[in-house]
Amino acid sequence: MVAARHRAPATALVRLGETRLAHADAGALAGVRREAWRRFLETGIPTTRVEDWKYARIDALLARPFAAPGPAEPAAGTLAAAFAGGPRARRLILANGRVLAGPSHVGGLPPGMRVLSLAEAIARFPERVAEVLAEVPDPGPFTDLNTALAEDGAWIELEEGVRPEVPLQLLFVAVGEPSAVMAHPRVVVRLGAGARLHLIESHLAEGAGHVLTNLVLQVRLDEGAELVHEKLQAAEGGHALLARTSVRLATGARLRDRVATVGGDFVRNELDVRLEGEGGEALMAGLYLPRDREQVDTLVRVHHHAPRCHSDQFYKGVVEDRARAAFAGRITVHPGAQDTDAYQQNRNLLLSDEAEVDAKPELEIFADEVRCSHGATVGGLDEAALFYLRTRGIGRAAAEALLTYAFAGEVVTRFDDPELAAQLRRAILARVPGGGMLDPEGLVA
Amino acid sequence: MAMLEIENLHVTADGKEIVRGLDLAVPAGEVHAIMGPNGSGKSTLAYVLAGREDYEVTEGRVRFLGRDLLAMEPEERAAAGLFLAMQYPVEIPGVSNTYFLRQAVNALRKARGEPEMKPAEFMKRLREAARTVGIREELLRRDLNADFSGGEKKRNEILQLLVLEPAFAILDETDSGLDIDALKAVARAVNGLRGPERGFLVITHYQRLLEFIVPDRVHVMVEGRIVRSGGKELARELEERGYEPFLREAA
Ligand SMILES: Nc1ncnc2c1ncn2[C@@H]1O[C@H](COP(=O)(O)OP(=O)(O)O)[C@@H](O)[C@H]1O
Ligand SMILES: [Mg+2]
Repeated sequence: MVAARHRAPATALVRLGETRLAHADAGALAGVRREAWRRFLETGIPTTRVEDWKYARIDALLARPFAAPGPAEPAAGTLAAAFAGGPRARRLILANGRVLAGPSHVGGLPPGMRVLSLAEAIARFPERVAEVLAEVPDPGPFTDLNTALAEDGAWIELEEGVRPEVPLQLLFVAVGEPSAVMAHPRVVVRLGAGARLHLIESHLAEGAGHVLTNLVLQVRLDEGAELVHEKLQAAEGGHALLARTSVRLATGARLRDRVATVGGDFVRNELDVRLEGEGGEALMAGLYLPRDREQVDTLVRVHHHAPRCHSDQFYKGVVEDRARAAFAGRITVHPGAQDTDAYQQNRNLLLSDEAEVDAKPELEIFADEVRCSHGATVGGLDEAALFYLRTRGIGRAAAEALLTYAFAGEVVTRFDDPELAAQLRRAILARVPGGGMLDPEGLVA
Repeated sequence: MAMLEIENLHVTADGKEIVRGLDLAVPAGEVHAIMGPNGSGKSTLAYVLAGREDYEVTEGRVRFLGRDLLAMEPEERAAAGLFLAMQYPVEIPGVSNTYFLRQAVNALRKARGEPEMKPAEFMKRLREAARTVGIREELLRRDLNADFSGGEKKRNEILQLLVLEPAFAILDETDSGLDIDALKAVARAVNGLRGPERGFLVITHYQRLLEFIVPDRVHVMVEGRIVRSGGKELARELEERGYEPFLREAA
């Protein structure tokens, strides 16, 4: 039996999981994994009749006959094209969920900063790993699945006051295999008081196939800690990505979260932010640009638990062809979180009659002195602007491309890392109809 | 043959006839002014000439340099040498003023089979134009018309006019909302472009602009028609007597 409106996981998936668990860890970690697995089986896979999964055909995706992933070795050129963070950036590279020690480079870190593969962390301190994996709030079936099956990923710890000068990049490569495969990478980030980290997360693909990456990134920011998290998802070729990011912020901690989705058959971004200490700040922005029959689902949950926190969500979408996008953003201001500032904006540009966008902003306010606003728009290109450009000699197709780029560019400007922003700009130009007509020189929005 | 020839033009929008049998011819080398009360259809005429699609031409024809203007796309009209300085320039966030204008210059050149303008040459021309119309360099880097003041938007239209150097320019109430210095800057720019090959149609509500851009002909437009044409002195007459007598005639 599974929960209402859920479906029992396919036999292939269950068998894969049971086999993995039988050979896995001992001690507390084994207990945490079994418990998560039990919850996963008990809940099952959400169908589209579950509100949070209304627009996601996740049950069909998970019904594929998954096999255990083989060794994956992406080409050096594939990787280099996605390098970001500057020449001195540290980098951890994962192929189908497993860390590739060879091309990764996480040496020479400042004292008090530790970057390990999750596999290594499990080998060295399994009890701590067990404790941390169990602490994600409201896990849901896919986080449970990840907790049960995560073999590798990253363990990133910065002690109090540690502020590395260069970014750390996590590069996830989906390498197409003959059969469908699943990967469950887990990334743990803990920043001590006053620590600061610029974390770049890149997703790309090599070769077509059906790699389903079920990633969980869990973050804890202690007092006054600061995380800049910038994510670029460009994994074209039949792959799917479920990405759950969970961030807990203590007093005065700050989060800047950026995400851009420019490739992936099915991408689900869940961001769960909990402002647990006074004066915390979470600034979130995102862009999704699905085309063909791609689907991008964005689910943002912001919880204001403490007074005087500020959150801001700014998400834009450009949806082409027969693609679909859904945005659901919920702001919850809990009792006692007075003097809250919480904003949300979701703007969508539909470029075809067959494209679809579903936007659902939600506000739940249980405190006083709250300044909240939210709004969602769905529309086409501005005809007056198109006409204006055309009267200056710019042809219709180029004018449309320019306006579409400009719409998306508003999110690009919010990315901090210039290399990542440049990659994103190129990806947008490659996706926007007529983008090839635009001169990239000077098109820096 | 005149550069721009409008014959018996009828235009409707939302089922309402706005331009109602308008005739007008502007020969090369001349500046013509259209004056008329608010709502007489001046902007509608300008938009229709530039190719805006939410108007329907029900009757008449327009020839521009011998070609059937109404059959052309807006960008084709621009390539043929037509320019409209709009009464209400459109704000385009996310596109820098400079980038936009460089794309425009090169699109026009491409359409005419000419090579792209060298970036250095373009920047030189842009800076010169900015100086002529009194636009700060900072405004060139900003998003097109976004957060520009009303006056800055109007000057920016004239900046485009200077950089694009069209054969024929329509100025739709470029003067409204401008102070005297801005007005003089606009006039300086237009007068600098005047020449035997160029034509201008200056739409205005007031006679003031015409003291600085002295027209060859003045036309009075009321309720979608030209009701009277004359020399530059007609502008002064209108200033003194107002549109009242023409409105009575039209009624
Ligand atoms: N797109 C439109 N749809 C409906 N009515 C319009 C449209 N554009 C203009 N009009 C109407 O046509 C009349 C003339 O407007 P306009 O051309 O702007 O006059 P002017 O520029 O002389 O002040 C006005 O009554 C205006 O409301
Ligand atoms: Mg007008």
